[in-house]
Amino acid sequence: MNRQPLIIKNQRWLDFLFHRPNIHLASFQTISNYPRIWIISILILAVTSLSPLVMATFINNRLIHKSVDAELVLQTDRVTSNAKRSMRFFLEERLNALRFIVNELPYYTLIDNEHLAKILGNLKLGFGGFTDLSIIDADGSQIAYAGPFNLEGKNYKTQSWFTQGIEQDSFISEVFTGYRDIPHIIISVRSETAYGRHFLLRATLDTQRLMDMLSSYKTNVHTDIFLLNHSGILQTPSTIFGKVFTTAPITIPAFSDTTQVITPEINKENAYVIGYSYIDTEAVTTPFILMVHKKKSDVMGTWLNLGKTFNWIIGICCLVMMVIITLVSTFMVNQLYLADQAKAETMLKMEQSQQLACIGQLSAGIAHEINNPLALINETAGYLKDLYQYTGEHRSDKEITELLDDILEAVSRCGTITSQLLGFVRQFDVQISSVDVEKMINGILSFHKKETEYKGIHVTTIIAPNVPAIETDRGKLQQILLNLINNAFQAIEANGCLDILVSHLPPKKISIEIKDTGCGIPEENLKRIHEPFFSTKKEKMGTGLGLSITYGLVKKLQGTIRVESSEGIGTIFTVTLPVKMQKEEKA
Amino acid sequence: MKIILVDDETKFINMLARRLSLRGLEADVAYSGDQALEKAAQTRYDIAVLDMKMPGMSGFTLKRKLLDQLPDIKFIFVTGHGTLDQNGVPDQFDDIFLAKPLNIDTLIDTILQRLHPDQ
Repeated sequence: MNRQPLIIKNQRWLDFLFHRPNIHLASFQTISNYPRIWIISILILAVTSLSPLVMATFINNRLIHKSVDAELVLQTDRVTSNAKRSMRFFLEERLNALRFIVNELPYYTLIDNEHLAKILGNLKLGFGGFTDLSIIDADGSQIAYAGPFNLEGKNYKTQSWFTQGIEQDSFISEVFTGYRDIPHIIISVRSETAYGRHFLLRATLDTQRLMDMLSSYKTNVHTDIFLLNHSGILQTPSTIFGKVFTTAPITIPAFSDTTQVITPEINKENAYVIGYSYIDTEAVTTPFILMVHKKKSDVMGTWLNLGKTFNWIIGICCLVMMVIITLVSTFMVNQLYLADQAKAETMLKMEQSQQLACIGQLSAGIAHEINNPLALINETAGYLKDLYQYTGEHRSDKEITELLDDILEAVSRCGTITSQLLGFVRQFDVQISSVDVEKMINGILSFHKKETEYKGIHVTTIIAPNVPAIETDRGKLQQILLNLINNAFQAIEANGCLDILVSHLPPKKISIEIKDTGCGIPEENLKRIHEPFFSTKKEKMGTGLGLSITYGLVKKLQGTIRVESSEGIGTIFTVTLPVKMQKEEKA
Repeated sequence: MKIILVDDETKFINMLARRLSLRGLEADVAYSGDQALEKAAQTRYDIAVLDMKMPGMSGFTLKRKLLDQLPDIKFIFVTGHGTLDQNGVPDQFDDIFLAKPLNIDTLIDTILQRLHPDQ
């Protein structure tokens, strides 16, 4: 019926959140809003302990990223300018060699194929990277050729490199395949014959040599170095964008003949840095843009991973701290709540017992003084009635005997009230002796024998076989049982039931359960039944002291009393008493 | 059967004696402990109904002194302090305590029971 204690036990840690508000206790509590204190405590602890950690992490992250960025830019810049310088030197060196040849040797020696082949051999020895050499006259016809391909007699008049080359002193072409279907670069120098006619000394450069040189600058796999022409077509293969002659999906950077580094603002996963420079030689501009592409996440992976690990550790720390903070706060606030609750309970009890003591002293004094005149009224009225009954005079005068009966009944009511009032004082002075509960119950029930038969009440007494004789105050226990059994009889209607159950609660307690099928107690009254002078039995001459005294007596016997009631179904009073009552130390 | 009633409330005790006599129980009255002892010296009472609290000698003192004179005498105490056994439930003591105001039938029943516990 009553499961509340179990639930409370499970929620021991969260009592302050799930307690049922008690108006009586609330007025004695120091703090009223525990959930608020709990939340504030968690917040303050969390903010003060976590914010330095979070801030430090944030600053650390910014620092890592900044230094990573700076380092990356620096690296890229260095690689780009180094590669650019080499590239420029590579082209200039070869262009100057051609210039030297045309200036040093007369035209007729140049157009001698054998001589040309010798020159090519020397160039290959001295510089490397040359594939073939040829002399082309102003009409585009190839006059002489030295090299591995059979290109003698070809006419280049329509080729774009030729038209560009014949118009300037020096010329460097893009990478293209031309007649031989192999990617190559053409460099050419223009000169004049003795007759003042222009001719071109053209050399084909092996792109492999160029690619080898560029890839020597690739410090690691995350760096990509390649050449683009001005329209974005790859001139050397790229690890990211693919083979030669494919169009790289990047915007062509603005012209700059010095090294530039740009860091495009894109998502962190694919962040990269691009270094570039347009390559120009002293003599001629080239169609090449040197591009260095570095992936940030890969290059600086170690750093970024370190940062990530750090963040994880800090995150887990924060989580652990939050859990600890929450647990500690919950525990502390709950302890606070329990202490406050205990204090409030003690104060409430003190107030109640003080009230009881005051009422008790006052009423006992009055009751005692009233009892003597009351006894006199009782006897006098009784004697008057006796006179009528025993002497036979006025026996027919029923009205007078009825009036006398009324007086006697009123006196008996007063007597009940005063004797109950006196019960308050009797909470002192305990005499312990051995009591057989069964005998006592049967003794009390015997007074209700007539009522039992008259109302047809079914009385059951069950005494568990292992119930020991208890050591307690006989008189007080008697009054407790008397009060409770009287109450039960008053509540029970005709043909009701009264069950009395005595059981042993090992090791040191017994419980007496008095269960009636009476009218029950409404819930709003349940809390007040132990208050003195609280009674609902106005017509049935209740004093409102019976249960109040009973509660006091049970406490005096170091026991507890509990009441469960459902309106219209019945009431169960359970008294729990120690088997052996301890002697109280006199205060 | 000899009964003695002792109480300092004279009117009360006289009225009680008269009511008892109407019911066929003759009782002597005494208004103090000393008076009771005097009367006990002359008559062998079977039972004494004593007020607990009287000026001079208390009910318990009187009980002891009466026992010296009449070892077989039985006692019923009457008290304005109320008792635990207002319904006449026997206590562990030999004596019986009854609360004022008294119910005359309870008193007579108790007297008879004290004198003839076997019946």
